[in-house]
Amino acid sequence: MKRWAAALLALLLTTAVHAADKPDDKAQGALLPRDSSDAAVFRGGLVYANYCVTCHGINADGNGRAARLYNPRPANLRMSDKNDAYFGLIIRMGGKALGRSEFMPPWGAELTDEQMKDLVAYLRSINARPPQ
Amino acid sequence: MNKTMLLALAGALAVAAGPLWAGEFVVTQKNKSFSTKKLSLKVGDAVKFVNEDPFPHNVFSLSDTKSFDLGSYGQGASKAVVFDKPGTVEIECAVHPDMKMIVEVQK
Repeated sequence: MKRWAAALLALLLTTAVHAADKPDDKAQGALLPRDSSDAAVFRGGLVYANYCVTCHGINADGNGRAARLYNPRPANLRMSDKNDAYFGLIIRMGGKALGRSEFMPPWGAELTDEQMKDLVAYLRSINARPPQ
Repeated sequence: MNKTMLLALAGALAVAAGPLWAGEFVVTQKNKSFSTKKLSLKVGDAVKFVNEDPFPHNVFSLSDTKSFDLGSYGQGASKAVVFDKPGTVEIECAVHPDMKMIVEVQK
């Protein structure tokens, strides 16, 4: 019993010492490191929600509120077999430049390089296509 | 040529000339906004959207009165759409979600 109590006391002291060593961690709370992939996915989700959701839909399945205007319909991004480079190109240059739908706008003049990179990270994170 | 034929010819001319009477309104897209927030026009009138920004714009509508997408077009380019039914049409730009305007189409 004494051994358990000693171990618990040691654990509490260790935790307290670490907390005292890193006051910034407490101040920052749950902030993600800016350069982390999780942060890129989070930012990319915001970009998606603002610019892409009208056509591709909140679930990225191609069923946005504007989807009915188009034939073929907007891509189901969850099941896309395209790689990150292709995503980056079609986002930057638009569908017409890549022989796809002319209604996919070119976003290169609207989004920053970081926003487009984040958007690709987000699309990769939600891709549910089984590996071939 | 009898009177019936003359009337028929006059009617045909009137139908053919109809579109000539339709107006064309010009709306510019500059600084990520439409040059007007609301426009009233008559059935058969057209609106030409002119991009005066140095980046692509788009024009689309999901309104029941008129659903369309004119696609994306760059600086100096323009696209037009004819409003063929009365009602209210909300116009949007797919590239810039804050760009919106209303077209009221009167009979």
